[in-house]
Parts: sequence; structure tokens; C-alpha cells
Amino acid sequence: MSAEPDTPSPAGPEPSPVETAVAITARLADRLKALLGRRRVQVAAGSLLFLLLALAGTGWDFRTLPPPGADVSVSPPAKPASREAARLLAERQRLETALRRKVPRGPWIVIDQTHNRLRLMRGDDTVLEAPCSAGSGMVLKEGSGGRVWVFDTPRGRFQVLAKLANPVWRKPDWAFVEEGERIPKDPGDRLEYGSLGEYALYFGNGYMIHGTLYERLLGRPVSHGCVRLGREPLREVYRQAPLGTPVYIY
Amino acid sequence: MRARCLPLAVAAALIAATGHAAPAAPGKPDDPETARLRAQVESLRTERDLASGKGFYLRLDASRQRLALMLQGVALDDYAASALEWGVPEVLFVNRAPGVDWDAVGFSKGRLEPERERDRIEVVAPPPVASPSPGAGPNEPVAEGPSPPPVPKSAEEAYSVPSPYRVVFAGGVALEVRAKGHGERNRSVFRRFADALGLRLSDLGTALGIGAKERVRLRVTLDAEDAASLYRSLPPDVGLVVVGLPAI
Repeated sequence: MSAEPDTPSPAGPEPSPVETAVAITARLADRLKALLGRRRVQVAAGSLLFLLLALAGTGWDFRTLPPPGADVSVSPPAKPASREAARLLAERQRLETALRRKVPRGPWIVIDQTHNRLRLMRGDDTVLEAPCSAGSGMVLKEGSGGRVWVFDTPRGRFQVLAKLANPVWRKPDWAFVEEGERIPKDPGDRLEYGSLGEYALYFGNGYMIHGTLYERLLGRPVSHGCVRLGREPLREVYRQAPLGTPVYIY
Repeated sequence: MRARCLPLAVAAALIAATGHAAPAAPGKPDDPETARLRAQVESLRTERDLASGKGFYLRLDASRQRLALMLQGVALDDYAASALEWGVPEVLFVNRAPGVDWDAVGFSKGRLEPERERDRIEVVAPPPVASPSPGAGPNEPVAEGPSPPPVPKSAEEAYSVPSPYRVVFAGGVALEVRAKGHGERNRSVFRRFADALGLRLSDLGTALGIGAKERVRLRVTLDAEDAASLYRSLPPDVGLVVVGLPAI
């Protein structure tokens, strides 16, 4: 008995992968052609294309401004071109001088209450930079329907109004409420010694720059609105900032 | 009577029309030097007005490419910009440039977009208890003090920073701040994607004049740390003055 010889299949030989791909592509092209022949599809494709173009061309158009070095503020000419130019030049100088005078000549203090940094400045120079603790932003509510306190440090320009060595803290109501203590009737019971550190610089509305017992928390917003400072920087600020020193808080 | 009045009326109308059509003092147009000086004086006046107020303002010095947070003429923080761009809305590839004197006034009421979210810790005070009397016995129960409040987060922990973000001012001007390099932004990938999508949609809206009317946008690229620092510490209702801007 001999083996049956291989008989070719009626469909012919198997097409190669390339031939298959070509056939599929041709079929897809035919279908696409048929699809694009329809008016509704033409309108939809056109609208989509327009929308994409419109989106690409709608928004904001930016142009780069000259980089540093390409100085646009040319120095004024030795001789102004006209009487009007001379007047404007004089006006410009007057305004520049007025603005320059706004910068304090002596020491000034800047407090970044977000990053809890204090800088002592003199003119344009930074004399000292240290971590501090500004207001926590916490809200304290006294029971139901009672008083509400928000522990924020105020922003703006202030000035040192008083300087105190070995300050004594006269505890306000919230200090007792927060601790769950009764508010004392005797004013003497409100006094607390040592908790404000060695020095305090009062800048108004009950706010001070003072020392702290919690130096490990410096750099975090944990105070009740005052600005807490470490022992050494506080000594330096107390020594260098006279009464009237501007305090800028942002 | 009517016939006699007619020429008078026509003459009056002509005079009125001429008065409206011609500027009050046509004068000679400024030479470039005078025009430049005039623009400088205008921006200095604007800055003086802002410096005389009690509000914070941003000072963008285009010639030095620096952005400073100012209060009463004093720079509280100063950032170097690595790039500065000027943008106008564009619809179907046609841009809408504002008038040449768009920056002649200062801008105010700047607000952050996306807004900076601040979580405040709220503490309800415990009911007051009398302090234990000195004569109380050792076995007498003593009321426990309140637990200490949680330590608030630092700025870096509390605020996540989008990039870009904008400070949108009243008067149709916005400052867009982009971050360059890697900084601590504390913002998830999903939020960054949402930010980008939101900004693109807002760009389309503002360009088409939907919602807030924006005429000019100044784009500043800052170091990532500086961009984050500015976002976290920008006071509310900040103003803006632009100086040293070349003729565009």
C-alpha cells in the first residue's frame, strides 16, 4: 500500500504575508473611497478638519521679548532732542528719585509668613536671615455659638513701636479658652513669665516679634499671630533694629 | 424764517462734526526718543501711585527680566526670569493686538488661577474646667487637659503648585508664570493633567472673549523653586506694573 500523493487544494497556494497585506490595504482603500463618496461623510470630515484648524489657530499668540543684554532702556542722550524731551527727562529723574527714597536707609525687617523666614536688611543688603514661626491660620471656636479667633499674622507695613527686654506675656482670653481654662478675673493671673523669650519687638495691634520655648518648631506656622524667632537671631534683631524700624510682612 | 435758519444749522453741524473728527491738539507726532521717554515717565508714574498705596504689587522689569514682589516701593522678593513673552488673543490665526498704551496704567486686584487652596484647621475649645484645688486628695480624679492641636503643615506641604499658573488682573491683563527645571511642586500627575486641560480650555475661552476679558498676557519663566515660592506666598489682590517694555 503506497501513501496517497499530495493533492493541491482547490483554492491554490497560500498567499504570502505581503500579498495578504496588499489585499487588505486595497480592500480598505476601496471601502474608504466608497465612504468618502458619501456626501454626509464629506461634510463631517470637512467640518472636523475646519474645527481642528480653528482650534490650532485659536488661543494665544506669544512673541519673545528681548533677553537680558539686549537692553532696551537706552541711556538718555546728552542733549535732549526737543523741549518736550527735556521736560520728560527731568520728570523721569524726579520720579526715579522719589521711588528710590521709598527704600529705608537704615535697617528694615521682612517677614515671609508663608515660608516662615525673617530677614533683617540694611539698604539692599541682607544682614541676617533666620527661620521664624508666623501665624498658624488655625481657627479656634469657643464652644457652640461662642467667640471665634483666627490665628493669622497680618500682612502689610508696620514699624517697631516698642522694644522690651524680658517681656511678660499678658495672656489674652483665647489663651485660656484654648487650654480649656476659665478666664481669670484677676488681671494678675493673666501674666506669664519667660514664654516670650528674652526680647520682644512690638509692632502694633497686639503683635510682636519675640522668642519661643519651642525652637524645634521654627520654620513652621505655629504661632497665634505673633512672629517667633530663635534666641540668637532675636538678640541680633533686638540689637540692630531701633524704634521705628519698618517691618514688612507678606 | 426756516430758510434763514437752515444754513446756520448746517454750519453748526459742520463745526460740530469737525470738532469731533479732529483731535483737540493734533500736534507733531513724537520722535522715537520722546515717545520712549514719555512711556517711561508714564510707567514711573504708575509705579509711584502703586508705591504710595498700602497694597502689594508685582513689578515686572522687562529690560532686566526680573519680577519682584513690592510693597510701598520696597522689593520684598525678587526673582530672575529666564524668558519673557508677550501674548495676545488669536482667533483663526488672526491676533487681536491691544492699543499701544495698554500698559499706561497699573493693574490691580490680581488673583491666582488656579486658586491657592488653604486648609485651615478648626479647633473647638474644650469646655473650661476649674484647676484642681490644692487640697484635693491623691485619689481624686483630675480632669485631663486638652490634647495639643496638630502642628500645621509647612508651606511646601500645604500648597501644591501648578505650572503654569496665572495672576489675572482687573483690566484684561494676566501674568502667566511657568516653571523651569524641577522643583518641589507637591502636585500629582492627574492634577497636572487636569491643570493643563483646564488652561487650554480657558485659553480658548479667553481668546474667543468668553468669560473674563483678557487683552494681554505676559508670560514669565522662572526657576521652579522661585515659581513655587511666588505661588505660595503671593498676597491677595496684588497689583502689577510693567516697566522697560520695548515697543511691540
